[in-house]
Amino acid sequence: MRKHGLVLLVLVLAVASAVGLSACGSSGSKEGGTLTGSYASFPDFLDPQLSYTQEGWTAMFDTYLPLLTYKRANGVEGSTVEPGLAEALPKISNGGKTYELTLHKGLKFSDGTPIKASDFKSSIERLFKVSSPGSPFYETIVGAAEFAETKKGEITGIKTNDKTGKITIDLTGPRGTFTNELALLFAAVVPADTPDKNMTNEPPPATGPYMIDSVEPGRRFTYKRNPYWASNNGPKIDVVGDGHFDKIDIKLVRNDSTQVNEIERDKTMWMQTLVPSDLREKIVNKYEGTQFRVDHPIDIYYFWMNTQKAPFDDLKVRQAVNYAIDTEALERIYAGSMVAAHQILPEGMPGYDAFNLYPHNMAKARQLFKEANPSDRDITVWTDAENPNDEAGQYYQGVLSELGFNAKLKTVNADNFVQVIGNETTPDLDTGWFDWYEDYPHPNDYFQPLLAGESIAPTLNFNHARADFPPLNAKIKKLAEEPLNPEREAEYAKLDREFMEEAVWAPYGTNTTSTFVDSEINLDNVIFNPTFGHSLASFELK
Amino acid sequence: MASQPNAEEAAPGAAGPWRLAWRRLRRNRIALAFLGLFVLIVAFCLAAPLWANQVADTGPNDTHTLEKLGVGGETREVVSPSGKPIGPQWFEADGKFFLGADGRLGRDEMVRLMYGGRTSLLIGFSAAAIMTLLGTILGLLAGYYRGWTDTLIARTMDVIWAFPVTLLAIALGLALAIGGLRIGPIHLSGESIWIPILIIGFVFVPYMVRPIRGEVLSLREKEFVEAAIAQGASPLRVMFAEILPNMLSTIIVFFTLNVANAMLLESLLSFLGVGVQPPNTSWGTMIGSGFDLLTSAPLLTLLPGTMIFLTVLAVNVFGDGLRDALDPRAKVRVQVEARAGMAADEVSGGVAP
Repeated sequence: MRKHGLVLLVLVLAVASAVGLSACGSSGSKEGGTLTGSYASFPDFLDPQLSYTQEGWTAMFDTYLPLLTYKRANGVEGSTVEPGLAEALPKISNGGKTYELTLHKGLKFSDGTPIKASDFKSSIERLFKVSSPGSPFYETIVGAAEFAETKKGEITGIKTNDKTGKITIDLTGPRGTFTNELALLFAAVVPADTPDKNMTNEPPPATGPYMIDSVEPGRRFTYKRNPYWASNNGPKIDVVGDGHFDKIDIKLVRNDSTQVNEIERDKTMWMQTLVPSDLREKIVNKYEGTQFRVDHPIDIYYFWMNTQKAPFDDLKVRQAVNYAIDTEALERIYAGSMVAAHQILPEGMPGYDAFNLYPHNMAKARQLFKEANPSDRDITVWTDAENPNDEAGQYYQGVLSELGFNAKLKTVNADNFVQVIGNETTPDLDTGWFDWYEDYPHPNDYFQPLLAGESIAPTLNFNHARADFPPLNAKIKKLAEEPLNPEREAEYAKLDREFMEEAVWAPYGTNTTSTFVDSEINLDNVIFNPTFGHSLASFELK
Repeated sequence: MASQPNAEEAAPGAAGPWRLAWRRLRRNRIALAFLGLFVLIVAFCLAAPLWANQVADTGPNDTHTLEKLGVGGETREVVSPSGKPIGPQWFEADGKFFLGADGRLGRDEMVRLMYGGRTSLLIGFSAAAIMTLLGTILGLLAGYYRGWTDTLIARTMDVIWAFPVTLLAIALGLALAIGGLRIGPIHLSGESIWIPILIIGFVFVPYMVRPIRGEVLSLREKEFVEAAIAQGASPLRVMFAEILPNMLSTIIVFFTLNVANAMLLESLLSFLGVGVQPPNTSWGTMIGSGFDLLTSAPLLTLLPGTMIFLTVLAVNVFGDGLRDALDPRAKVRVQVEARAGMAADEVSGGVAP
């Protein structure tokens, strides 16, 4: 009897083990639990209409969905616009001036209220009411410019039908970038009764797979699953993942070395920040492919030259500077995170076609400088104080001095840099450093604000080169009106070359970013969208 | 043989106050040792051009990012492709990159340390001179004239004092870093080394005015001042020929302490990017730029930090010794020590310390 009992016990244990093992094997990945992450700086806003930083956009990418959205994919593929809350991509008519979309039926906000077509209209109006930095993208909607001034009445160019879900947007003129702009977080749909103020502390109800659950400003914010995603929104919006974790807990850790340390000790699963440059080599050697990966946002780093003022009003001087810059040195200054580039459009941007008109050649640079023989050699070089941009500025000053300039360096705190060099009253705006990260993956986002003559502004000017070449201005304007297609992309590539022939900038590279996760996370499935950053819904346990 | 007590030592009143002070200072071995250390640091910094031209063969701002160094038949990169600067080479590369490269720009750390020290010392001494000069003049005027002059100066100082000194210096540094400073025909550009000198000199003035004013108020009541006034001496003569010489010991002691404070504040301002502007170097800017490589190259932060620590320590300890030597109250101690020394000599037949 005792013997039989023992046999029975062994059998029971064996069956239990087999069941347990098969359960583990069948699931493939673990669902549920809490994803823990860290940010080095708190998002500017946790309000989709207001945020204009990578931190904010990453935080809300899978929380607030616009009518259109960017594909949850790495690299160039991530620049594709897909339908979000809308059933399909817009039907464009009336010479590119009318956009028609239809909202999916049966969608709900995370508080259970139905999402209506009119919520889109009120969300765009809210953009202007809260003076969002993103509002200029939508000023071409009929009536938007007036609404921006008065903040009263309505934007007449948006017509909605809550019964059919139909949304019609009329523009004052054709705008080839508008599809991309409709997929920005600024155009995310929030309930019509959302107060017209910064809602960071009390984020509006969500439409994506996650909703922001709690916010401790400057310290942490948490998410939980949107209760209406699985039942209502998710089945219709299949381009956005459902998410694998039930909760997400993001805390602020200002020191990036501490962030790395916590991941190495499996105390945090993910860091939103780039790994610090002095730890990069160690992390790459130890974790590349398993916990670390290099990602590619769409950006360009460059030195601008004021084309309207001596000595940089002389093409030969600008060309000499381009020849004098050695991108290999700058790659080292950026500790290997920089990939050399020599043109306006960065890799990953539609229209990108690699070329290099000015391969490093100091002898040629000196020859051009000698031919130009500029009478004014006292110049000021502007750079921001953030490392390693400050070192890039110091390198640039050294190169200019070597070339024959009497170059003075002005290093400005990164918080004020844009305002200082964008203000025409700032004296001696001769040349300097700058970088530009895309707002959306459309080449116009580089040419229009940075190089179009009409963009030269007395304050917050981004055309630091003060480039104003009428034939090129006309091309920018014409291309901006047309939708992007392979032909237009080829024209943008040509425009890129034409601007570099004018040597308005000395571009030197595109900076990479990184994904660093702890040993539990499946790195292969983590998505880094070049515009929005990491998709929180893509994180899952191994 | 027992040494004979010095005649002046036995009768301190026979020697002048400065000579007595020097004698007291000479006895303070610790103060003298730190004075020696300070002299060594100054000599190290003054030798910067010599080292840069004769040994390192590079200037403080010359970049060597892509250069390679031949060391004993081996080629070493000054900055690796991953941006790691070369470490100390000591004399392996004939003194080049003796302490390694300063960061990804590949500048010679030793050369920058020496030149940075010159900047830090220059700012320390110049700012201390400014605050001492201004503080002395304002303290003299306030203490001598009293009344509304005193009220005006004291309240103005109170206003400056009301701001935390560091925050005030940072705010001024930020404001002046871009546009520089324009006072009448004088224009200082934002990257001028005189900007941090003036800022530091200015923010510390109240800390000098108050004690000077207090001492002037006390000295003003002394008989020799009354006598000078009775003889018809002008206020300026009374202030600068009668009162000032009697405060010199205080001023000298304050000056040394001001140097230390000024150097510390300069380091902080430069670390925060509102003091010495790149590519110029000071120990503070070196800490700031080395801080980004703290994990992989801690020496870049530790070296300038140690130099600041040693200099400030040397100046402070020497300043303390100087105060002991110049402080009249120390006379009592000297006399007691002298008597004790003589007694010890009589007992043991040893040499008095």
